[in-house]
Amino acid sequence: MTHTTDNAWEHPEVQLAGGGYIVAFVVGLALMGLSLWMVRGHVFAPTGLAVAISALAAVAAFVQCVLLLHMTVSRTQVWQTVALVLFIPLFVITIGLTSWMFHGLYRRTMMMPATHVARPATPTRPRGA
Amino acid sequence: MLVHIDGPWSPLLGRLALSEIPYNNPILVGTFVFAALLAVILVGLVTYLGLWRTIWRDWLTSVDHKKIGIMYILIGLVMLFRGFMDAVMMRAQQAMADGPHSAGYMDSPHGYLTPYHFDQIYTAHGTIMILFAATPLLVGIMNILVPLQIGARDMAYPYLNAVSLWLTAAGAALVMASLFIGDFAHAGWFGIVPVMELPYSPGVGVDYWMWAFQLSSIGTTLGGINLLATIVKMRAPGMTWGRLPIFTWASLSANLISLSTFPVLSVALALLALDRYLGTHFYTAGLGGNLMLYNDLFWIWGHPEVYFVILPAFGMISEIIPTFSEKPLFGYLGMVLASLGIAGVSWGVWLHHFFTMAASPAVNAFFSITTMAVGIPTGVKVFNWAFTMFRGRLRFELPMMWASAALFYLLVGGLTGMMNAFTTNDYMVHNSVFVVAHFHMMLLLIVYAIFGGVNYWFPKVFGFRLEQRFGKIFFWLFTAGTAVVFIPMFTLGFMGMTRRLAYVAFPQWRPLLDIEVVGIVIYLLSAVFLVAQLYVSFRDRAQNRAGLDAWETSRSLEWMTHSPVPFYNFAVTPEVHARDERAWRVEHGVDTVRPERYEDIHMPRNTAIPLWLGALSFGLAFGLVWRMWWLTEVCGLAIFALIVIRSFDRDTDYTIPAADIERMERAIRDVPSGRPVVAGVRGAVPAFRQGV
Ligand code: HEM
Ligand SMILES: [Cu+2]
Repeated sequence: MTHTTDNAWEHPEVQLAGGGYIVAFVVGLALMGLSLWMVRGHVFAPTGLAVAISALAAVAAFVQCVLLLHMTVSRTQVWQTVALVLFIPLFVITIGLTSWMFHGLYRRTMMMPATHVARPATPTRPRGA
Repeated sequence: MLVHIDGPWSPLLGRLALSEIPYNNPILVGTFVFAALLAVILVGLVTYLGLWRTIWRDWLTSVDHKKIGIMYILIGLVMLFRGFMDAVMMRAQQAMADGPHSAGYMDSPHGYLTPYHFDQIYTAHGTIMILFAATPLLVGIMNILVPLQIGARDMAYPYLNAVSLWLTAAGAALVMASLFIGDFAHAGWFGIVPVMELPYSPGVGVDYWMWAFQLSSIGTTLGGINLLATIVKMRAPGMTWGRLPIFTWASLSANLISLSTFPVLSVALALLALDRYLGTHFYTAGLGGNLMLYNDLFWIWGHPEVYFVILPAFGMISEIIPTFSEKPLFGYLGMVLASLGIAGVSWGVWLHHFFTMAASPAVNAFFSITTMAVGIPTGVKVFNWAFTMFRGRLRFELPMMWASAALFYLLVGGLTGMMNAFTTNDYMVHNSVFVVAHFHMMLLLIVYAIFGGVNYWFPKVFGFRLEQRFGKIFFWLFTAGTAVVFIPMFTLGFMGMTRRLAYVAFPQWRPLLDIEVVGIVIYLLSAVFLVAQLYVSFRDRAQNRAGLDAWETSRSLEWMTHSPVPFYNFAVTPEVHARDERAWRVEHGVDTVRPERYEDIHMPRNTAIPLWLGALSFGLAFGLVWRMWWLTEVCGLAIFALIVIRSFDRDTDYTIPAADIERMERAIRDVPSGRPVVAGVRGAVPAFRQGV
């Protein structure tokens, strides 16, 4: 073992933290609460809602990257940043290809009236009515 | 908030009741008696020999990467045996339940297993073989070898390493518990959607499967982090990236895969857990759920996982072939790039597992092409191995036999994989036993590499070589068994036999199914010779003692320390001069030089906390399976408390003084490694010549 310390205060992550962790925690909670409220209350039309919560998610991710992971290019932290950058292609591959697949799939397999897709079918309505 | 489940439930036992114990099923009772007898014998033996203290102190609480590796391998072997018995049962059932006139026994319409029981067996077989046999065996081997190959004292996080081990053990124990308490999933190892949803599988089987899978997934993710950190940060001085042994490169690429994809599995299973426990609708057919989402998420992990298991196997083959060809590995750089290439491509091919799901032709074509692209780096590897052997001084000792036979499986498995990769072909063979035969070729390649690797590195870890005569009989019988089982299986696949049949409708298939049974019997027979090999090796261990370099033509760093490896690995951290350091030192005549000066060694201290964490996670998962909420809560809180308590522990390491190291080193008597000199070159070969 080349380098070791039992004293948590000597770890660069801990020294960098300051009050950041608490702030990140509170901000994260607030953002999640906000998006939950928006979804439960249907405050926008579906498209607007999707855009709004995606934007909030992006803010949350940013807050986490900066305040929790300390992604900077300083000597001690650059490896965290590199890890994120390496992760981006994976993100693009998995999410991108998945959405491509589902995009075509829905048209092929979900041949039903748009009302059924938007909200669950009400069982009482007679078929074909 | 919790989903309501019909049927009895009590606060104390949850859904568990006496009726859940299958005491009226003769097969399970027999299994239980066998397991109980084995346990009694083992406990008795350990007590009689007075080994409890040693087992506790040197094994269960150990954080030594070699011991953890050995324990991983033991778990893998036990589960391999269990999975093999499942296979025997499935083969027997299909041979018996063939045609409308086939007889039925033990409440079963045909054969001796009811479809419900048969479905559990193939689910258990797949889950066990991939997650609890192949993965632990390979993780164990990586655990032992990677720190030795890079000249480290231990893993980067020895404590985390033990936690990973015990999480995997907890998962394996959960699968085993399902044999005797309740039942196992019947929805296939990858979870056939929506069969594994609550309305279609209201029992505890799917819960057992899901939590066992989840535990192993978390354990393997942590293990991946650990191995990556070890390789990146713990290399001995002089061990540049260009000098990293090829097995370590393979482990690096494999663990890049595990780190990036196992979390996807964890999320996929967690969403399923939400569906089954809280009544969400991620994968349900209606109410906004999406069946296909599960397939997609599962195979985003599932395909990379198959490469996670094959890359270390490739790595072992790449170490064994040069040793027994007495030549450096051909095309080191190509090998490294191919490993990383395979890891890279593996993220972009998962959809070939559900070509028939009705994605658009463009999507299928895209994934068809990416799948075929895997063949390129794989081909590079095959040619590199072939050129390594070309004009080499080939010695077919046991490790080399396993490794070179593995190449044949790669050929058959890879070519049939290419056939599946054509979407048009796949529409024909999807869900047939042809696919089953394809991936068994691939998995057998891994098994062969593992047997090769175990034979190859056994002397390094235990200090004596495995006997070769029984070992060779085992090899040939095992190979014969494979041929006799899988050639008919490929044939049946072409004839249209679908997989997972508890009842086979066509009597014409009977002869081929019978031949497969013969193959299974040959496999069983081969196992006898494996036991004989182990027994004889252990009995004659004094004659078979191995020196530093057990094969006399090995090349990498791990062959420079004693066999068996002392707990501190290297008395003095080696300075690395060349890619094949051992070969370099032999050629320069410095392989037997002892260090002049020893230094203090800083080591991690043993701890029982990982063991407790494993036991508590078992309790947590068991409580979740049976919905015994108090057990879940108690175990969950205890896990949290233990982690917090441990973080205040300052006494986690110690130092061995240099004087003690010197004393221990002087006490070790290495058997000299014979090194014939041919054409004036020590080692009888162009011992040191960097990859061409
Ligand atoms: C050249 C390399 C390979 C190609 C082109 C390939 C291709 C395929 C394809 C297209 C399928 C889907 C067939 C279907 O379900 O209809 C498949 C299934 C499978 N392959 Fe491969 N494969 C390759 C290598 C591997 C390797 C290295 C492994 C394991 C170590 C593996 C294990 C599996 C497994 C486990 C399945 C079936 C999973 C299941 O349905 O339960 N394959 N392969
Ligand atoms: Cu695949």
